[in-house]
Amino acid sequence: MNFNNEAMIKRDRLRYTKNKLSANLTLLAIILNALYFVSIYKSDVGSFYYNYLIGISVVYNLLFMLIAFLASEGVKTYKVGYSFALIGIGAGQIIRIFILPMNASKTSLSLGGEDTMVMESGQFIYVCVCLIASAALCIIAGIVNIAKARALAEHQAEIDNKAKGS
Amino acid sequence: MSDLKLQHLDKIYDNKVQAVFDFNLDVKNGELIVLVGPSGCGKSTTLRMVAGLEDISAGNLIIDGKDVTQMAPKDRDIAMVFQNYALYGHMTIYENMAFSLMLRKENKNEIHQKVLSAAEILGLTDQLNKKPNQLSGGQRQRVAMGRAIVRTPKVFLFDEPLSNLDAKLRSATRREILLLHKRLRATMLYVTHDQTEALTLADRIVCMSMGHVQQIGTPLELYDTPANLFVAGFIGLPPMNFFDVEVKNGELICESFKVALTPEEKGALERYEGTTITLGVRPEDVSEGGDISVNVFSNENLGQTTLVNGVVGKHRITCKFREWCTYKAGDTVNVSFKKKHFFDKKTTDAISLR
Repeated sequence: MNFNNEAMIKRDRLRYTKNKLSANLTLLAIILNALYFVSIYKSDVGSFYYNYLIGISVVYNLLFMLIAFLASEGVKTYKVGYSFALIGIGAGQIIRIFILPMNASKTSLSLGGEDTMVMESGQFIYVCVCLIASAALCIIAGIVNIAKARALAEHQAEIDNKAKGS
Repeated sequence: MSDLKLQHLDKIYDNKVQAVFDFNLDVKNGELIVLVGPSGCGKSTTLRMVAGLEDISAGNLIIDGKDVTQMAPKDRDIAMVFQNYALYGHMTIYENMAFSLMLRKENKNEIHQKVLSAAEILGLTDQLNKKPNQLSGGQRQRVAMGRAIVRTPKVFLFDEPLSNLDAKLRSATRREILLLHKRLRATMLYVTHDQTEALTLADRIVCMSMGHVQQIGTPLELYDTPANLFVAGFIGLPPMNFFDVEVKNGELICESFKVALTPEEKGALERYEGTTITLGVRPEDVSEGGDISVNVFSNENLGQTTLVNGVVGKHRITCKFREWCTYKAGDTVNVSFKKKHFFDKKTTDAISLR
């Protein structure tokens, strides 16, 4: 096959290489999510977290990791559907900031006779950074995959047309 | 591509066993040299010394005018294709072919072009996204060759690359290697124990036995004018027939037949008058009709030719006739010899007719 320019070679490479960038960004998002929930679950603040929300949080974390992992494999082969899944769970990570962390940062408890904030501002910033970064990585991975998948599809169509023409 | 010089190479293992003795060879740029010989003759050891996988005990290895005897394998700029392909099972064909270039941190676009070009040469373009276990043996061997091609090395080394393939695939892949060599004009060193491969592929053949080079020459030279009994017996299928004969009064006398010598043969064998020499006759040089009686014990029809095995006196003989024959065990067929080869009984060297 003859290539006219570097950009064309770069696009043609997509036919034989995996989308490792999106896959790796997604795996990094899983790690950041893990940092988030470890920070929440190790908090020693009495029984504040012991309600239905923590159960939903645990289930959601498991779902997030499962979907993100499957998506990381899916985007390797430029499957666009997984991009939308990634963008969706990325948006979910942003929404999560307004549930457990926001509640905890606004609530104070009396522990050992002293009033204590459930989530100090330092921890709040930390979990927010984890969730925002995790969300950003998921969304970027999704967008990168959509762009690459489109480029690949266009390139493949071009090749098919050339093959038909010849 | 480059020339290659092997000068007085010896290989002595730590247990003092010597595998290669004084190996000398000058490989010209773009030449395909085949090292051939039976198992244990030192051909693979020689190849591994060139690759740098075995230390060279003595002698020099020169590639493109540069002494690489002490150089690490990665610095010699050679590529080797192994019998067992040595592909990475978890990588796609594209990744397998690109891997060595990625390790060198070459530009990704250049790697891509090299891989596609090699894949096109080898007819692997449609297989690039597959894993090695999805390919046939022949295709895997082509991938192994592709991995060598993309590196554009100075010398290609092949260590019995077709041994794992079935007979049909072997001959097809052999033709592909030949086309590849013609296309790349690369310097290649090819090891095999299969003389058919040697005869069909080689520009020159190096025939080895017991660590010693027996003869270096073109396929025709080895077939037509073997240097000694070993080469005569090794090259050619079925192998050459040998008879102990006495040279007497312009004739070769065996206990069961006599063969008259031509004036040229008489001159060459003058100094052997009254002594016993070895007469060699290729099966295809035995023709029906004559005064040598062969007592047939088997008849093998191969389609275009027939192999008739029998005995002449105490000597076994194989005749290759160019038609469909139906001899039965116990039949007698009269034959004559066309081209004859003569060997000194003591030294086993060929007696030249020139």
